[in-house]
Amino acid sequence: MLDNVAETNFKNESPTDFTVLRNIRLFEEALSSVKSLIEAKELEAHPIVAGKAEWGKTTIESQDPAIPTLALGKVNFADRTIADKALISLQSGAKGWADTPPKERAEIIRKIANLMREKRYFLTALIICECGKPWMEADGDVVEAIDFCDYYAAQMEKLGEPQKLVEVMGEHNIYFYQPRGVALVIGPWNFPLAIPCGMTVAALVTGNVTILKPAEQSSLIAFEFAKLVLEAGVPSDAFAFLPGDGEEIGAHLVQDRNIDLICFTGSKAVGLWIIEQASKRIDDQRTIKKVIAEMGGKNAIIIDEDADLDEAVKGVLYSAFGFAGQKCSACSRVIAVGDCYEPFLKRLCAGANDLIVGDPKRPETFLGPVIDVESQQRLLERIKKATEENSLAFQGEVPQEGYFVPATIFKDVAADSPIWSDELFGPVLACTRANSFTEAIELANNSEYALTGAVFSRSPNNLVLATKEFKVGNLYLNRGSTGAIVQRHPFGGFKMSGVGSKAGGPDYLLQFLEPRVVTENTMRRGFTPELL
Amino acid sequence: MLQSDESGSETKIEQDVIAFGKDIFKELGNQQPSSYSKNYWSGKAMAFSMERPELKTNLFRLVDVLPALRNSSAITSHVQEYLADSAKEISGLLEWGVSAKPGSIRGGLTSVVTKKMVSEMARQFIAGETPNEALKPLRSMRKQGLCFTVDLLGEYCVSEPEALEYLSRYESALKVFGANVNRWKESSPIIDNHPGETSPICISVKLSALYSQAYPLNFKKSVEILSERLALLVRQAKSLGAMLYVDAEDTAHNPIIYQVFEEVFGSKEFLDFPFPGIVLQAYTRDSEARLKSLLQLAQRRANPIAVRLVKGAYWDAETVLAAQNNWASPLFSIKESSDANFEHLSRILVDNHGLCLPAFGSHNIRSLCYACCYAESKGLTSKDFELQMLYGMAEPIAKAFSQQGYLVRLYVPLGELLPGMGYLVRRLLENTSNESFLKHTFVDSKEVEHLLKAPQFRD
Repeated sequence: MLDNVAETNFKNESPTDFTVLRNIRLFEEALSSVKSLIEAKELEAHPIVAGKAEWGKTTIESQDPAIPTLALGKVNFADRTIADKALISLQSGAKGWADTPPKERAEIIRKIANLMREKRYFLTALIICECGKPWMEADGDVVEAIDFCDYYAAQMEKLGEPQKLVEVMGEHNIYFYQPRGVALVIGPWNFPLAIPCGMTVAALVTGNVTILKPAEQSSLIAFEFAKLVLEAGVPSDAFAFLPGDGEEIGAHLVQDRNIDLICFTGSKAVGLWIIEQASKRIDDQRTIKKVIAEMGGKNAIIIDEDADLDEAVKGVLYSAFGFAGQKCSACSRVIAVGDCYEPFLKRLCAGANDLIVGDPKRPETFLGPVIDVESQQRLLERIKKATEENSLAFQGEVPQEGYFVPATIFKDVAADSPIWSDELFGPVLACTRANSFTEAIELANNSEYALTGAVFSRSPNNLVLATKEFKVGNLYLNRGSTGAIVQRHPFGGFKMSGVGSKAGGPDYLLQFLEPRVVTENTMRRGFTPELL
Repeated sequence: MLQSDESGSETKIEQDVIAFGKDIFKELGNQQPSSYSKNYWSGKAMAFSMERPELKTNLFRLVDVLPALRNSSAITSHVQEYLADSAKEISGLLEWGVSAKPGSIRGGLTSVVTKKMVSEMARQFIAGETPNEALKPLRSMRKQGLCFTVDLLGEYCVSEPEALEYLSRYESALKVFGANVNRWKESSPIIDNHPGETSPICISVKLSALYSQAYPLNFKKSVEILSERLALLVRQAKSLGAMLYVDAEDTAHNPIIYQVFEEVFGSKEFLDFPFPGIVLQAYTRDSEARLKSLLQLAQRRANPIAVRLVKGAYWDAETVLAAQNNWASPLFSIKESSDANFEHLSRILVDNHGLCLPAFGSHNIRSLCYACCYAESKGLTSKDFELQMLYGMAEPIAKAFSQQGYLVRLYVPLGELLPGMGYLVRRLLENTSNESFLKHTFVDSKEVEHLLKAPQFRD
């Protein structure tokens, strides 16, 4: 890590304070204005190439997961022809954008943040509608998007300054960065603004021309973001927006020889496929594709015997069932030590039973629907199977309409059970008991993933032990496992959780850059400037 | 001329406050609140933590975790983990215990001793585990001329069964008090015709623990459900003729709490409920606006309400939350501003005493003397307001004011050790804080003139 980029003037955007009644009204107004836009059929998404609208052959309707019959707006998908057109446009813009001074690029990215601030409530409301995200989490999504812009802008200003290396007489050495070239950003739907925005602005601020391919399920919100990117002043030949089908357009672009960098957040299967494809040289391809992939987790929370159960129950409920468990950082395993297992589980299930389930457009909703019907059916199927193999401790009730999946808790889950190892990405929690804290850590580490984890304990020794031995990218002590904040909690994991350095952290941008060193022999005809 | 009259009366009040304060201090003499007394382990531990602030965290964290520990070897190992480095300095016995092996006989003893120490510490501030257990200490309070309000400890509820259990604990506490307290000979009013002595029974209710999903985004439903549940208690209190206070909490819950208070005591059924109590926190920046709307409620009711004016007990947590979210803090950042605001709000309460029964809740002799002197300067007598303090925190001060003829009510928590820990740690922090008036008075022995100085707004 470079010391000099660790400190910047960056300041986190404030989340909305819902104790202020006026803020609740602002949200309600934004939701009703999104509703009017839906009714007027004014929401849409389509490809943007060279700053102009493009239209592919396929159009789908984006849905409200809480009210599937409600079409939010039309989403036109890019096809291969449009994708190729985008690549040509970006290649023509690559040099101009790379040569734009880093400070100028940073200012443009900060402008994106400011535009998002101006449209903050609208963007939040759209996230609530399109992705079924509860208020507080949709608010956090927009806040994080703004943070990514401001933080990476500040980072780039520092990285943009060439650095001196060791000084030796008669020699001048400098170290500086250049962009990699053409970046492909493939975004997820679960942080429909924050993550695509973070990846896109990281690629752009470092001088890469960038394609954003959002998740199908969150194309409308991604389209609003794409418009802001161009409005802020990113040149039209430096950015292209290509909504579309992952298997069609995503795969096509991943396999294109002109892509230099792929930045992906999504499932393990797709991530591994991308890494494999990226390693193949196509014809006389000139660069080796760099892949940054964040791919999920099977995150565990350990409840030590001496834990404050008030805090532990609260923390697990939010980590496991917040946004219906659809966060890569969500908790899907709980390991409780010794005698606290039973009382903890009892309070947890009682607590889960009282969470408010419903339409996320309502302010009080804690547990909303999952993203789409495929997700719902897959989860219900997995729960059914797991119920046959494991002991069901709790299952909640959910509305009939909407893609709801009940909050589900299994107890005494064996370490070889699929529900213990597979990432389900839904409101499903597997619990087990460990005899000791050491055993709990072993159980927690026994996973192919290593993204987040948390420990509730009041033993100083066990907290030290966890810090050393609980091997995950982001470990939280005496709090839940979700809710990473830019700069304060740089985020990302290892093992099957991904490759690449932490988003929102000091090393992140380096991955979008190639370092160069220039060494000049300053000695001419026997004299050197130092000795003159 | 009005100007000089005003400032003339201000000087007069200021002189009265100093004189009265000096009387109170004289009365205190060498008395110490038992929580500071070094005859008790708690007093020793507190003294120790004040001398060694770097160890305060460890000591208080140990106190916090102890009730959750299920066996003696767990207790022994926690004692070691938290105190190994500092055991020597606390006491020989503890050092002996800290070096014990968990599971050994000596370790077993350590755990017994430690648990005893913490229980003893908790008993300083918590009058008993159950209402029945509390009857004796409550009765002896009245015998000493002090009245009470009882709070049931229940720090956080995660589910509805827990919320309903908490509700039923209040219901059975009221039952127990109803069946016993009125029969005591000590139940006759300490001060005749004092509105605070409408009944010897008084409870203080923490609303957030009565509904598991009380959070700002669930405002409407929280208000609806909590109003229903509070109404159950108020109905029961009404049938017993008992008094009731609704406690204030943190910023996340306060808008809900004040709304519930308004709905319940603004409703037709409870318009005639005598002196329903609410708490006003002087450390909040919006407290004056809050008070104005409470007075409007009293006006609408055509019956007065009781307002317990306090400084506020959630300063640390609120300050941290605001800082972490980059929010402007809803609280004054400097303690002295809260003290100044306390006096400002005292004046408003006194000026509106027809609408409210002012209850000045503080251990700060200056704050209390000011409230009394200002009230008297406006023609109020000791029958028009009362003073409130926490049980176990400042007995000598309570007695001193009581002897001066004021009605003093103690806020008495009841409950088991585990849910009581949060309360206990808050009291310990308060007692050992460098800004604590009690510490300044009883530990640091600061100059009386300094302690009685008029506070100014600093932020």
